[in-house]
Amino acid sequence: MHPTSGTRPRRDLQPTAAESALLTDLGRVLGEDGLRTSALSRATYRRDASFLNADPLAIALPSTREQLAAVLRACRDHGVPFTPRAAGTGLAGGATPTGVGGVRPLVISVARMDRLLELDAANRRAHVEPGLVNARLGRAAAAHGLRFAPDPASQIAATLGGNVATNAGGIHVLTYGVMSQHVLAVELMDADGVVHLLDGRLPEQAGLDLRGVSVGGEGTLGIVVGAWLRLLPAPQAIGTLLAGFHTLEAAAATVGALVTSDRLPDAVELMDARAIALVEDYAQAGYPTDAAAVLLLEYEGLPAGVSAGVDTAARMAAEHGATQVVRAADAGQRARIWKGRKAVAGAIAKQAPDFFLQDVVVPRSRLGEMLDAVVAIGERENLIILNVVHAGDGNLHPFVLFDRREEGVLDRVFAAGHDIVTTALALDGTVTGEHGVGIEKRDFLSQIYTEDALAVQQAVRTAMEPSGLANPDKVLPTTVGCLEARMVPEGAWV
Amino acid sequence: MSDAATMTTDLAPIVDTLAAAQRARGQLVIRGGGSVLERLPPTDAEVLSTAELTGVIDHRPEDLVITVRAGTPVEELSALLATHGQECPIEPLAGHGSTVGGRLATALAGPRQLQAGRVRDWVLRVRLVTGDGRVVTAGGVTVKDVTGYDLCRLATGSWGTVGVIAEVTLKLRPIPTTSAWFTTDRPASRVLAELYRPAAVVSTDEGLFVRLEEHPDDVVAQAAAVGLVAAVAPTLPTTARAAVDPSRLAELTSWAQAAAIPYAGFVGVGVCLLDGDPDALVAAGARAAELGGRLLVLDAGATTLPMRPPPEDPMSERVRAALDPQQILLDVRRPR
Ligand SMILES: Cc1cc2nc3c(=O)[nH]c(=O)nc-3n(C[C@H](O)[C@H](O)[C@H](O)COP(=O)(O)OP(=O)(O)OC[C@H]3O[C@@H](n4cnc5c(N)ncnc54)[C@H](O)[C@@H]3O)c2cc1C
Ligand SMILES: Cc1cc2nc3c(=O)[nH]c(=O)nc-3n(C[C@H](O)[C@H](O)[C@H](O)COP(=O)(O)OP(=O)(O)OC[C@H]3O[C@@H](n4cnc5c(N)ncnc54)[C@H](O)[C@@H]3O)c2cc1C
Repeated sequence: MHPTSGTRPRRDLQPTAAESALLTDLGRVLGEDGLRTSALSRATYRRDASFLNADPLAIALPSTREQLAAVLRACRDHGVPFTPRAAGTGLAGGATPTGVGGVRPLVISVARMDRLLELDAANRRAHVEPGLVNARLGRAAAAHGLRFAPDPASQIAATLGGNVATNAGGIHVLTYGVMSQHVLAVELMDADGVVHLLDGRLPEQAGLDLRGVSVGGEGTLGIVVGAWLRLLPAPQAIGTLLAGFHTLEAAAATVGALVTSDRLPDAVELMDARAIALVEDYAQAGYPTDAAAVLLLEYEGLPAGVSAGVDTAARMAAEHGATQVVRAADAGQRARIWKGRKAVAGAIAKQAPDFFLQDVVVPRSRLGEMLDAVVAIGERENLIILNVVHAGDGNLHPFVLFDRREEGVLDRVFAAGHDIVTTALALDGTVTGEHGVGIEKRDFLSQIYTEDALAVQQAVRTAMEPSGLANPDKVLPTTVGCLEARMVPEGAWV
Repeated sequence: MSDAATMTTDLAPIVDTLAAAQRARGQLVIRGGGSVLERLPPTDAEVLSTAELTGVIDHRPEDLVITVRAGTPVEELSALLATHGQECPIEPLAGHGSTVGGRLATALAGPRQLQAGRVRDWVLRVRLVTGDGRVVTAGGVTVKDVTGYDLCRLATGSWGTVGVIAEVTLKLRPIPTTSAWFTTDRPASRVLAELYRPAAVVSTDEGLFVRLEEHPDDVVAQAAAVGLVAAVAPTLPTTARAAVDPSRLAELTSWAQAAAIPYAGFVGVGVCLLDGDPDALVAAGARAAELGGRLLVLDAGATTLPMRPPPEDPMSERVRAALDPQQILLDVRRPR
């Protein structure tokens, strides 16, 4: 299911005539500072946060819409495909510059287009450029007593354009919903450099909801050059609870009970024993190290509702045999409880040289079964897998830890990843909840969709992006061209 | 209503009807409950009804999802969910017999969208028969799913122009523990700013109405803090609805007040429901346009005005042509 190590990237090859002509044009538009062609720069942009990597033709770093439009027109004129890129924290290879039919794409980074164009506090909305980092919008909103709800764990680095392009999730999806619900309008630039305002400022759509289609488009429908985002008032009260359990089943059953209680928690995160041990060692968040699982629960809103919610959660956790239930007494304790969850990636980096992060979803009621299956897969492949779960959404993020220097380990890692996905599918789940399809999950789509459904997906893509130059081999399974991505983690490029 | 989870819907009749229309180069209009269609002038197009397409396919209270056939009346759905203490806040308009498919296709939401969000935010999966007869499923039964392009959003608000919505999976939530309507003399903008996420704020010719849906103690505290007085729900006009930028809504409602037209403006949203004679609606349409908005007339009996034709951008045209190349599906907002 995974792209195999393909042909050697054309790192040492001379650019073709078309490529040279494009580079000349781009140099004129972007200047020396805005165009990178060196081997070192190309190495830096080989991959996103996944292992998939490939050699780009060059990297364009436009600072303005006008520059970006000129870059896109140059690509069109020379028939060179492009790969949109923002912070590169994506985990599905969406920003990996794979080419089709031997043509290396141009990486177009929007990182320099990072302004907060308008924060309209009275009407609770913000107009942003795509390169603005998610957490920066959060800070700007907080100054007005507002918040931006989507909070992916990568929010200190990931951009809002990237969040739009992947329809990102986060910790508070259960009640606030995914990114799409917070996107009022998208400004999408097509391959001719023309901007389309998808849905506008009016509360009712006039035509088709192409805004909704562009959210999650993973750079294949054009480049997001701006977005109008919805802001919400900051909650007046927040209640946070940490509960430890002897078994994964008990923790999962508690989630089921909470989801059917009369008030939904706003965040329900689950971490298993391995994750607990790792973060405790690293961040000392105060999690019970003898527990098989912990639940991190949060209620937000008005004081009475929050405290009733926390009471209910504490009672339900106890009824399901929780060994320890801690309520955060103040903001400091609350921050400490979350510190453990947020430290996962850092803790892993300290423990293992490499990790492979999966992203699957199952119906909440199948969570216990899915967690058991992940444990079994880890045992079978003799791999350490730890589970960090957006449990309220049934969204699992198993982290497979390994050391790439170990002979043959990658085959086992990919086998485990593959089994995790097929198990989720068998439990009526899906192959990706928030990280996207990119290249990594692309071939699974033929298992999920009928031929007709794939044809319709392709037809909608072509209708929205007729040039075929935007991130061509991502998202939908292709029949043409050879894949030039390499799954092998590279060790020697910087 | 515990139909088997494996039960499938026979879509062959729909596929056949679409194929026949294609051969005859005719036009079809998809009909749900007819609550909108009945008030429009008749067309020559053949009717493709979803009346047979009813019933719950799979309800999983523990997963907060339900899958129903598109012809299921919204009221039936709400009643079933209520027995489980759950709701999908896409708001049935009582007594109008509108269907789940019609709700999705029109995507017109009521005043609770201020807090609950739009219709599109509650749609997890759609099974659609495209205009050219292809059966397509998009989305899943899980609350998060980014597998491929989000065609659920494409179907929602499509007014029957891309295909027949056959099955719908909706996201559910618990019914709020308390909900109540209030009224107040305070200005709408202050009320919206001072309350924490009210369920609805509606500015009408009979005063300002506020709906709170919270823990009972919070409802009492919020109402006291802002000086709200208990009230019954406002009556909502049904002839036309204007959509303006929420920052311009007050200009539209004060115009309606001065013109003595019954209105209900959704504060913080920008939708304004209006009643009135043809002249009044023509004037309302002009006023909405001045404010950068538009008017959708939903009752042809009330006026000779056509429903507002949506401006079509080339990208939408291309997407529509990809799913219904022969244009057999009639856009009732733009009768030919
Ligand atoms: C430690 C860690 C934790 C994470 N946690 C979460 C999480 O909780 N929830 C979650 O959803 N994700 C999470 N992610 C994944 C990732 O952060 C998100 O997918 C994020 O939205 C990507 O943003 P980015 O700016 O890094 O985009 P990139 O990685 O640069 O790009 C991602 C995709 O979007 C496209 N793209 C980027 N910008 C544009 C644009 N302007 N126009 C068009 N296409 C564009 C790219 O082509 C690519 O396909 C996590 C990643 C890491 C490494
Ligand atoms: C002024 C006005 C305001 C309203 N405000 C609200 C409100 O606040 N809240 C609320 O809940 N309701 C409201 N409604 C009612 C609601 O929007 C529609 O009447 C109803 O949802 C349409 O459902 P229906 O089944 O009766 O559709 P129909 O009247 O049968 O059809 C309406 C449109 O949807 C298409 N359609 C119907 N079914 C399908 C399908 N299965 N697949 C594809 N296309 C389909 C039709 O082709 C047609 O274009 C309002 C109605 C009016 C007139």
